[in-house]
Amino acid sequence: MTISRRKFLGWLGAAGMSTAFGKSAAAATHEHFTGYPNSFAILHDITLCVGCRTCEDACNKVNHLPPPDKPFTDLAVLDKHRRTTTKAYTVVNKYENKGPSKGPVFYKKQCNHCLEPACASACFVRALTKTSTGAVIYDSSVCVGCRYCMIACPFEIPTYEYDQVLTPRIQKCTMCYPRIIKGQLPGCVEACPMEALSFGKRKEMIKLARMRFQKHPDRYVDHIYGEHEMGGSSWLYISGTPFKDLGMREDLGVTPAPQLTAGALSSVPVIAGLWPALLAGIYAVSKRKEKIARTEKEQAVAAAMDKKGAATTQTEEES
Amino acid sequence: MWKGKSLLLGAGITVAIVIAFICTMSAFDDQALSKTSDQTQKTVMYRADIITFDNMDAFGKLEKPKAVFLHDLHTDALEKKHKDCVTCHMSENGRMSPKFMHLKDIGPEELTKIYCDNCTKCHSETIAAGEKAGPVKCDDCHRQRPLIKSSMVEMGFDKSLHYRHLKAQKDHCEKCHHEYNEKTQKLFYAKGKEGTCRYCHKKGTQSNKMEKVISMRLASHYACIDCHQKTMAMQMNAGPVRCAGCHDATEQSKIEKISHVPRLKRGQPDNVLINTGDPKSRIPQMMRVPFDHKAHEEYNDTCRVCHLASLDACVKCHPLTGSTDKKVITLETAFHKQGHQSSCFGCHESKQQDKRCAGCHAVMAKDGRKDSAACLRCHMVPLPERTGVLSTSKAAKMARLMPQLWKETFGPIYRVQVPKTVVIKNLMDRYGPVEYPHRKVYHAIVNKMQDSKLAQYFHYSETTLCLGCHHHSPVDGNPPKCENCHGAPFDKNHLDRPGIKASYHQQCMGCHQRMGVTKYLSCTSCHKERKKELQVSSK
Repeated sequence: MTISRRKFLGWLGAAGMSTAFGKSAAAATHEHFTGYPNSFAILHDITLCVGCRTCEDACNKVNHLPPPDKPFTDLAVLDKHRRTTTKAYTVVNKYENKGPSKGPVFYKKQCNHCLEPACASACFVRALTKTSTGAVIYDSSVCVGCRYCMIACPFEIPTYEYDQVLTPRIQKCTMCYPRIIKGQLPGCVEACPMEALSFGKRKEMIKLARMRFQKHPDRYVDHIYGEHEMGGSSWLYISGTPFKDLGMREDLGVTPAPQLTAGALSSVPVIAGLWPALLAGIYAVSKRKEKIARTEKEQAVAAAMDKKGAATTQTEEES
Repeated sequence: MWKGKSLLLGAGITVAIVIAFICTMSAFDDQALSKTSDQTQKTVMYRADIITFDNMDAFGKLEKPKAVFLHDLHTDALEKKHKDCVTCHMSENGRMSPKFMHLKDIGPEELTKIYCDNCTKCHSETIAAGEKAGPVKCDDCHRQRPLIKSSMVEMGFDKSLHYRHLKAQKDHCEKCHHEYNEKTQKLFYAKGKEGTCRYCHKKGTQSNKMEKVISMRLASHYACIDCHQKTMAMQMNAGPVRCAGCHDATEQSKIEKISHVPRLKRGQPDNVLINTGDPKSRIPQMMRVPFDHKAHEEYNDTCRVCHLASLDACVKCHPLTGSTDKKVITLETAFHKQGHQSSCFGCHESKQQDKRCAGCHAVMAKDGRKDSAACLRCHMVPLPERTGVLSTSKAAKMARLMPQLWKETFGPIYRVQVPKTVVIKNLMDRYGPVEYPHRKVYHAIVNKMQDSKLAQYFHYSETTLCLGCHHHSPVDGNPPKCENCHGAPFDKNHLDRPGIKASYHQQCMGCHQRMGVTKYLSCTSCHKERKKELQVSSK
């Protein structure tokens, strides 16, 4: 079958219309989802952190992780910037102080437990889920090991057990989900001697951060990191040193990750479901047109032949 | 088909043109880039004697980037040829003008001609004589990215410098200070009206109806250099005439400083009783504030630290009652504004950032709310009648005697019984108890106050010192225990109240950090780690 230019453009137009009248991108994701109303959050006041690594120690203990290469009391570890590993869900890093106070600053890094996690939206088996407590938890029993979550996470948090040949898992901070549902504090929060980590309802933690800004406007950068970043997260940070100087990304915007992909993904069912029917319809219509045209042509030819035949017989008769 | 072919051909040609265009553009970009990298490779020199001809700004946007002129370089070059300032500078009313070969900024064309013609003329003559000289081509002076940058530091006239001039001029204030008579359009000297130059001579030259007040920059260069030169000509010791002499950081630090400057005589009061309303009125009002003007003169380098716009009484510009006019700043705001060096509050608060004070004061909220008891340290209650100083006494006398007599009556008293050691053991788990040397710490803080009159004044009794740690407590030396308020962390009703463990750590370590006590910052410097079997996990 040859496709004429007009026909091709017609198809294109029809396809365009069908997508245009499909679901809008925003409707595919939640309608301005601002997190579970009573979810918990942890506020990390970077100005209070003294870099004692007690949180790392506590995290190791409550999660039954293997003992570290160097003891948690060894503060020389802080001299090198580290990232989270399968054996350390959280790490404290030391940075140069560019704020009003003196001495170095310490920033604790772990999973931010986004309100709309990119990792969970990338996971096609729902191994990662955002719970109503605020914690983003992982179910290794369904995980297929695709590591899409690692690529999706803008904070480079999930890690993969490459050394486990048969049962590799994704490893990251659980916000101590098993502990919070029992009414206990997360391990790191409980251990922190300075209360540089505060635990409570997310809205209260935001209130607390604002209270500190008001009390000490000279001490803080007037911004709660995590309040809106990537749609907001269940870990919030306040600091005296600009966040970008602590290696924290400021280019993420306020749109939750799932919303960025929802537009493209929402058109998948439209294209997958509607297009075949549409194309088949168009094909059928054009086929019918062709059929009608052919019949008409045949009839015309037949008529012409009949006419010609009649004329010939007439001449024959005449001759 | 022919139609299709021609369309294809047309598209092909367009694409080729676009590609060619992009290529040439990027080639241009590359050239531009290589040019800048060439320029940055040359090291940029910093000098204090850079002059840019800012007087051209008045005539709108400039055609070329401003030329960079090195003044001291020219002075030296001319000196070698036994030429002096007159080569470039004209005189007016017996004073040398700081402008180059002109007296008035007439117009852009004329000025351009004066600068370009005279500069290039001298430069080419020097080159013709076989000597090294400055540029003769336009772009060598008017560079987009000058190779020499300014390291100029601003010069100011502090108390010490003022006193040295006063002594050298034998108390003849009129040598520098003047007023302007609008009618006769002349400068005259008015005794007792002297003020900071900057009150009239602002950053830029200001044109009023009648007069033209020249900028501070121009005024200081007219007056200072002219006088220094004349003094030098008389073979006397004089101040700098070269740019670097005043504007180079190292040269500036070499200027002699007098440690104890005698008080200026400008008719200022020793003590002032600052009114908070009409003192004769029966309407209730805040207590008047006795202010030690004489003492504050010593603390500051210039009068304009406090007297921003004139040497008049504060109330002349800052009225007691507010106004709908936004420009009006009330006396209350002028005295209590936070973060402003000219307000009482702002300046005192900045002193709290000192290492010796920050331990306690940095913890205190900076939200502008103060304990009402603190008001009374300045807004002083009238003295009891037996002291002989009645509220009807003369204001100056009251201002002088009130703080003095109150101090004699009430303080400073340091008589509180401070426990020698406090053992903190209710939180023992991983670490053992802390033996806190309470009395030692207390005495250390008392000692830190000894050389600060400000600290001693506001900490009139030891109980005010106790408040550093025992905050929100009564000022009677009997504070509640920390545990009375601080218990489990994250109390919903007291969001910003730390739990007991964090209270100790924040208080102790925060203070040590801010006061630079590095010895007690690690865990084991305060409490020893307990044996594993003794550790009772709370989990």
